[in-house]
Amino acid sequence: MNSTIEKILKKPVTDHVVITCEKFETHSIRFSNNSVNRENLCKLAEEVRVEVGYDGRTGSFSTNDLSEDSIKHAVEKAYEAAKLLPKDSEYMPPVTEAEAAKIKNFKPAFGKMSEGRKYGILRDAFRELKKAGLNSAGSLSTTPLTFEVYNNNGVHISHSNCVSSLTLTAMTENSSFRESHISKDFADYDGEVFISNIIKHAQLSRNPAPLEPVKFTVVLGPSAVEELLLMFLWYNMDAKAIDEGRSAFSKRAGKRIATEAIHIYSKPDHATASLSPFCPNDGMPFIGFDMIKNGKLARAWYSRFYAAKKGVPATGRFPANIIFKGTNKPVDKLISNVGNGLYVNSFWYIRLVDLMDGIFTGMTRDGLFRIKDGKLTGSVNNFRFNQSVFDMLRDTTEIGKEKALFSMACASIPPITVKDFNFTSKTEF
Amino acid sequence: MDNLSEIINYLKGKKVRFADAREHLFRERQIMTEDTRVEGINEQNVSGTGIKVLYENGWGYASTSAKGMDSLKKAADKALSLARNADKTATGKVELAAEPKHVAKFATKTKEDLFGPGVGDAVAVLIEAGETILKGKDVIKAGSYLVFRNVKKKYANTEGSLIETDISTVLPQIDATARANGEVKSRHYWPAPMNAGYEYFRGLDFKTNAERIAAQAREHCFAKSCETGATTLILDPEHLSLTMHESVGHPTELDRVLGYEESCAGRSFATTDKLNNFKYGSELVNFIADNTLEGGLASCGYDDEGVECQKWHMIKDGILTGYGVNRELAHKLKLKRANGTTRATKYCDVPITRIPNLYLAPGKKPLSFEELIADTEDGIYIEGMGSFSIDQMRLNMQFGGDAFWEIKKGKITGMLKNVVYNAISYEFWRKCDAIADKRSFKRAGFITCGKGDPMQAAQMTHGASPARFREIMVRRAKH
Repeated sequence: MNSTIEKILKKPVTDHVVITCEKFETHSIRFSNNSVNRENLCKLAEEVRVEVGYDGRTGSFSTNDLSEDSIKHAVEKAYEAAKLLPKDSEYMPPVTEAEAAKIKNFKPAFGKMSEGRKYGILRDAFRELKKAGLNSAGSLSTTPLTFEVYNNNGVHISHSNCVSSLTLTAMTENSSFRESHISKDFADYDGEVFISNIIKHAQLSRNPAPLEPVKFTVVLGPSAVEELLLMFLWYNMDAKAIDEGRSAFSKRAGKRIATEAIHIYSKPDHATASLSPFCPNDGMPFIGFDMIKNGKLARAWYSRFYAAKKGVPATGRFPANIIFKGTNKPVDKLISNVGNGLYVNSFWYIRLVDLMDGIFTGMTRDGLFRIKDGKLTGSVNNFRFNQSVFDMLRDTTEIGKEKALFSMACASIPPITVKDFNFTSKTEF
Repeated sequence: MDNLSEIINYLKGKKVRFADAREHLFRERQIMTEDTRVEGINEQNVSGTGIKVLYENGWGYASTSAKGMDSLKKAADKALSLARNADKTATGKVELAAEPKHVAKFATKTKEDLFGPGVGDAVAVLIEAGETILKGKDVIKAGSYLVFRNVKKKYANTEGSLIETDISTVLPQIDATARANGEVKSRHYWPAPMNAGYEYFRGLDFKTNAERIAAQAREHCFAKSCETGATTLILDPEHLSLTMHESVGHPTELDRVLGYEESCAGRSFATTDKLNNFKYGSELVNFIADNTLEGGLASCGYDDEGVECQKWHMIKDGILTGYGVNRELAHKLKLKRANGTTRATKYCDVPITRIPNLYLAPGKKPLSFEELIADTEDGIYIEGMGSFSIDQMRLNMQFGGDAFWEIKKGKITGMLKNVVYNAISYEFWRKCDAIADKRSFKRAGFITCGKGDPMQAAQMTHGASPARFREIMVRRAKH
């Protein structure tokens, strides 16, 4: 395929031809009721996307047919589309070699998990969970992937990586607890520790006690923080939207938005939460930068166009990763410092309620525990929250140890303690 | 079909209990505009073949984008190997409900090919809508999103079915955002997405609606906040489509009910012991599942298990009477047949149970929308979709909307803002005390319903006439 692409780029149809290739080789094993009985699949997804610029317009076309004819057809279709479009006021030419030279490429080390190891991990988990009288559901997946970007400026960059994950929900008759392990290749997976932690918490989650929703001091587990924080950032961090008055940050320029201890940044070559050092769509180098530091918005997210307009480095419309700087404190330490509160393992179905004040709603899920005198004492019924993320960032009183996670993006996120978290209604379980 | 038949014969020789093969060509054009510029155009052609194998009691699925028989055999072998591995953890016998052998073709009725007119035609319409929106006072942003999708499938299984389908889908949306009075508010015009040809897009009135949403986005900025407390709600068909999707469509997917979806999409309160006896709503509430609905987004003739699309009552006179059922789980309800709701997004995706076309049947007594409003002393009329969230058992739900109108003494008196309502789903449907008749029936729907792991997006139509709900807890979204 490389030679085909190089041939096309030797005689490009215009001075703007970008060809990107993405290859994902996924093996996903899904299970429920302690058995592999759902999606159990292998898929090799290889896709080529061609972008052609013409006189300040850009057309694109994608295909998973990697033959020379097909890629040439994609170039023709993208060119044809570009010619039919109006001039784009935000047109950007392809990344140059000089820009691409700024990419700090890295080579993550990962091995291939054998079929025996994958199904073995699951058999061990099913055995231990059954022994404990628990049911389970979840998935184990591995995805080695490669991103490649070529363009007519002579740019040819590639990056390979791997994302593997085990997500397991253990269930009693009336409760559940979920935990995940994210890694390159599971070389760091300790099944005994992972499963025993799940069993311990699932047992503790049995028979949730009734509790009324009010404001509580909460310890939010890393997943809960990730789910809420990433949704908030996704809605609000676009620099152009901020300048146009369409973001919650628009009316908070220069204002304090978080407690001093919160430091949220991006680091493309982070040891456990990295995916690619460049943007797979165009080859733009990802950069390391601070997003929230010293209690204030440090830098928003800039597209290539908007960065050039404003004379600042581009971060991408979504950066390489999200790192919330943690401490050395394990989550148990955070729990031990709470006299009366709740431990929230994860959230579910988070949605925006009010954009300009950063208010989101959602439910607690798979582990909501009462904390009394620094200890988890049992579970309670799940709650709905309606919470301003600005209030959460301001009312964060303690930060724990980071954990690698991967939902909306690669992330490394700690548990945090937050006072006055706003629960507004309860559900029946 | 020759390749598919050959691969099915190949697998029969491997002593599989069941296998099917699905050749799948997915073609899509997405256009996004921002103000008067094209923000992006994504065109894609993705094709390949997915092969599903049941070996003893284990399932395996593998796919390939290559066309040759060697590649298909490799995928078949891989699916078989995965099925053998899954069988080692099996805890029960897999029983497939019978389905007649189908040798058939089905296609969306269209007058004009979606991809016939050049991309410039649709872009011009959207840019013009953007220009109209931006003429609105205090409007700061216009946007649009348009999808043309065509999916061609060929399906064969070890029971002799040979099915070809050809489905075309249109999803048009435009949005306006205004900033005034210290507020930023949006309003949208999202005509129902349809299985149809280009003629559907051509027939939409973007200009009038662009003017309307620009004016209403601004009006929303000056609206007064709602009061917190229990009140009467009248919900429009577009809004109801989201409510029914979350609180009726998902809870009645049988795989979810039986715990198979616990790790992702969650479970359901509508457990099988409640079938034919649980009061899901008031006696006025009838939900019809209908994958034979002409132009319905889930109307595909035959699903991805080779089951013919069907029509049935999900809720009848307020009582839970049905589920979306695949071939593997039908026997759990002692059903002889699945009901044709199993679909996959692309060739590499495993078909799973999806929400069918599902609609709230119109009221049987003559009642216009205007009469429904006139019959309501005080309350709030909600149009369109806004914030939405529901717990993983599909009980505690909270919805916003796109526009909120105050009703006083039987009249709409002005706009409200910051409205969210909160209810337990079945209690909400039990509080339905009036549904307008079929004259006000409208469709809406989705093409991005997420489910599965890896996640897949499915499409389905919903519909309703405006309906009234009493004593619903409304809260101010912010103070």
